Amino acid sequence: MKKSAQASVLSRLPILIFVAWRNIWRNPIRSVLTISALASGLVMVILYASLLEGMTRQMVRFATEISTSHIQLHRQAFIDDQDLYATLPWSYMQKLEQEFPDITIAPRLYASGLASSTNTSTGVLIKAVDPKREIEVTKMLEHVRHGKLDLGIADITENGFARYNLVIGAQLAKNMNVEPGDELVLVTQAADGSIGNALYRVAAILKPLEPNFDRMGVLMSIEAYQQLMYLENGFHELAIKVNDLSQLENIQADIIEKLNKLTAVEPLDKLGGVPVVRNWRQLNPAVADLLELSKAFVFIIGFIIISLASLGMLNTMLMAVHERTHEFGILLAIGMKRRWLLLMVLFESFFLSLVSAAVGSVVGLIINNYFEEHGIDFSQSMPDGYDWAGMIFEPVMKGYLIPMDVVYACLMMMVVTMLASLIPSWQTIRLKPAEVMR
Amino acid sequence: MALLTLQGISKRYQQGELEVNALSDINLTVEEGEFAALVGPSGSGKTTLLNIIGGLDSPTQGTTRLNGTDITTLKEAQLSDFRLFQLGFVFQSYNLVPVLSALENVELVMVLQGKHKNECRQRAEHYLELVGLKDIMHRRPSALSGGQQQRVAVARALAAGPRLVLADEPTANLDSENATALLDIMHTLSHEEKTTFIFSTHDPRVMDRAERIITLQDGKIVSDERHHHEHKT
Ligand SMILES: Nc1ncnc2c1ncn2[C@@H]1O[C@H](COP(=O)(O)OP(=O)(O)OP(=O)(O)O)[C@@H](O)[C@H]1O
Ligand SMILES: [Mg+2]
Repeated sequence: MKKSAQASVLSRLPILIFVAWRNIWRNPIRSVLTISALASGLVMVILYASLLEGMTRQMVRFATEISTSHIQLHRQAFIDDQDLYATLPWSYMQKLEQEFPDITIAPRLYASGLASSTNTSTGVLIKAVDPKREIEVTKMLEHVRHGKLDLGIADITENGFARYNLVIGAQLAKNMNVEPGDELVLVTQAADGSIGNALYRVAAILKPLEPNFDRMGVLMSIEAYQQLMYLENGFHELAIKVNDLSQLENIQADIIEKLNKLTAVEPLDKLGGVPVVRNWRQLNPAVADLLELSKAFVFIIGFIIISLASLGMLNTMLMAVHERTHEFGILLAIGMKRRWLLLMVLFESFFLSLVSAAVGSVVGLIINNYFEEHGIDFSQSMPDGYDWAGMIFEPVMKGYLIPMDVVYACLMMMVVTMLASLIPSWQTIRLKPAEVMR
Repeated sequence: MALLTLQGISKRYQQGELEVNALSDINLTVEEGEFAALVGPSGSGKTTLLNIIGGLDSPTQGTTRLNGTDITTLKEAQLSDFRLFQLGFVFQSYNLVPVLSALENVELVMVLQGKHKNECRQRAEHYLELVGLKDIMHRRPSALSGGQQQRVAVARALAAGPRLVLADEPTANLDSENATALLDIMHTLSHEEKTTFIFSTHDPRVMDRAERIITLQDGKIVSDERHHHEHKT
C-alpha cells in the first residue's frame, strides 16, 4: 500500500516538474529579478571566498617563504632558552638530506652580541646562514633594499685577518646610521667562553619583513660565524622546505621517525635536549588560528549574503502562491493531491535557485578569473603593501578560488532558498478548495 | 441503484453570532446519465450543494453516496483520489492552468490519474475534437475566448472518464450564444458518453436544455421536474 503510494508520486514527478518549470517563466521579469538577486549574492560570496583565500595563501607564503620555511628542526634547549650549545651535529643534516630527496634544507646558527659603529653601539641578534642553501629554501636574501647581497670575505686587514660582509636590518641600519660599505664591529661571548670580536663590512640592508630582524638582525655566513664563535660542531636550526605542501604532515612524521633512529645510532649530549620538529603552523600558531578564523568568516558572511538574497526569493514565491490561489483550488478540485502541489511549488523554487546557482557560478568564475590574473591593485596608494594582523601584504590583492568553494556556496544557497520557500509552499497545504472556488 | 443519493443533507455556516442555514435537509437521487440543472436565486445554496456532492466541502449533517460510496466518511487523500477518478469539474471561469496549452490542460488530469502518455494524448485530442477545438489545441488559455476556454474545461472533465460531471454556473461569463453552444456540447456528450451532468445556472435559456430542473430556495428543494425533450444531434 505504502509502496504503491510512493511509486505514484514518482510517476507524477515529470508532470509536476514540467508545470513548475513553465510556471517560472510565467512572470519572466519577476523571475529574472529574483535570479539576478540570488546570482549576485552567489557572485559576491564566490569573490569574497576567492579574495580571502588569496590573502590566506599570501599569508602562508609570507609565513613560510620569508624565513620560517615549512618545517624547522631545533633542540629543546635551544627553543627554551636559546642555548648556544644546543646544536645538532652536521652529520644529521647530511643524513636527512640523503634520506629525503624531496626536501630542501638550510642550516642556521644564532648568537647575540653587541654591534658598534663609529658613534653608537647596540645589542644585536646574529643569524648565520649558508647563502647557497638559504636561497633554495627561503626568500630572506632576496629582499635587499640597499647594497649588494654578499656574505663572503670583503677584504683582508693589515694584520692578515679576513673581514667578512654582513647584511643587516633596515631599522638597525637607520638606528646605527650605517650604510652599505660602512664598517661594523661585533662583540660577543664565544662558545669557549672567550670574548669574540671582529670587524665587518656592511654589504647590504634588508627590507623590513620581520619586525625583530628589522630592529636587531645581523646576517653573516656560517664560516664567519664559526670564526667568531668557535662553534663548529653543529647547527641550531634547520629550515626545511617541502616540495608538496599537501604532504607536510606526512613528511614531518617521517623526519621525526628518522631522527629517532639517528639519535639511537649517534646519541646527542643530554643537556641540549631532544630534537624537535615543528611545521609552520606550530611555529606560527597565531597565523594558523587566523587562517581557521578566516574560513569561519567566509561561511558566516556567505550565509548572511545568501540569506539576504533569499528574502527576494521568499517574496517572489509568496506572491506566486498568493496570486495562484484560485488555480491551486482548481487543481485540488480536479484531484491533484496536496503533497503533489507542495512538491510542484518546491520544484519551482528549486529551479529558480538552480538557475541562479548556474548563472552566479559562471559570472563569479569569470570575474574571479580577472581577480586571479590581475588582482585589485592598491600600489598607487600603498606602494609598500599593507599591514594586517601583524603581517605585511603585497599591494596587489589577488584572488585564489578553490573549486569546491563554488560547490559549497551553491549548495548553501540552494539549501537556504529551499528552506525559505517552505514558508510559501506551506500555504498550499492549508488551501480549502471550497473556499477558494466561491 | 441510483448513481447519486443525498440523504438529509444540511449545511450550517457559523458567522459570528449568526447561524446561516445554507442547506437544510436535502434529499435527492440522480440516476446514471441524467442531465440535471440546479437553479434558484442567488444565495439559495447551489454552490454549497455542488461542493458537497464533489467532496470539496463536508455537510453538517447527512450522507452523500456516489456509486455506493459514502463520501462523507472518506479521508482527505481518499477524497482527492475519488475526485480524480470519479468526478469532473467545470467552474465558472479560469478553469485552466495558464502555463499549459489547451491540449496539455486536457491531458493533465489523465496524467495525474497515471494513464499512459500515448493514451492521454489520444483521448485529449479526441475530446478536443468533440468540443471543436482540435485546430487550436496548442494555444494557451490566454489565446482562447471565454467560450473556448469553457469548452476546453468540458473536454478536460470528460477525457478523464468520470461518473459524474459537476459544473457550477459554467456559462455565467458567456454571452447567450456561447452559453447555449456550450450547453449543446455538454448535452451531446452527456448522451454519447453516458456521463451524468449536474450544473447550476441562472440563465433560463440554459435551463431549457436540461432534462431535469431542481429548484432550490433558502437551502431547500422547492421543485424537481423532468423535461423529456428530444435531444438534437
Ligand atoms: N463560507 C461561508 N460562510 C458563511 N456563509 C456562507 C459561506 N458560504 C456560503 N454561505 C452562505 O450560504 C448560502 C448559500 O450560498 P451559495 O454560495 O451556495 O449560494 P448560490 O446559490 O451558489 O448563490 P449564487 O447564485 O449567488 O452563486 C448563502 O446565504 C451564503 O451567504
Ligand atoms: Mg454559486
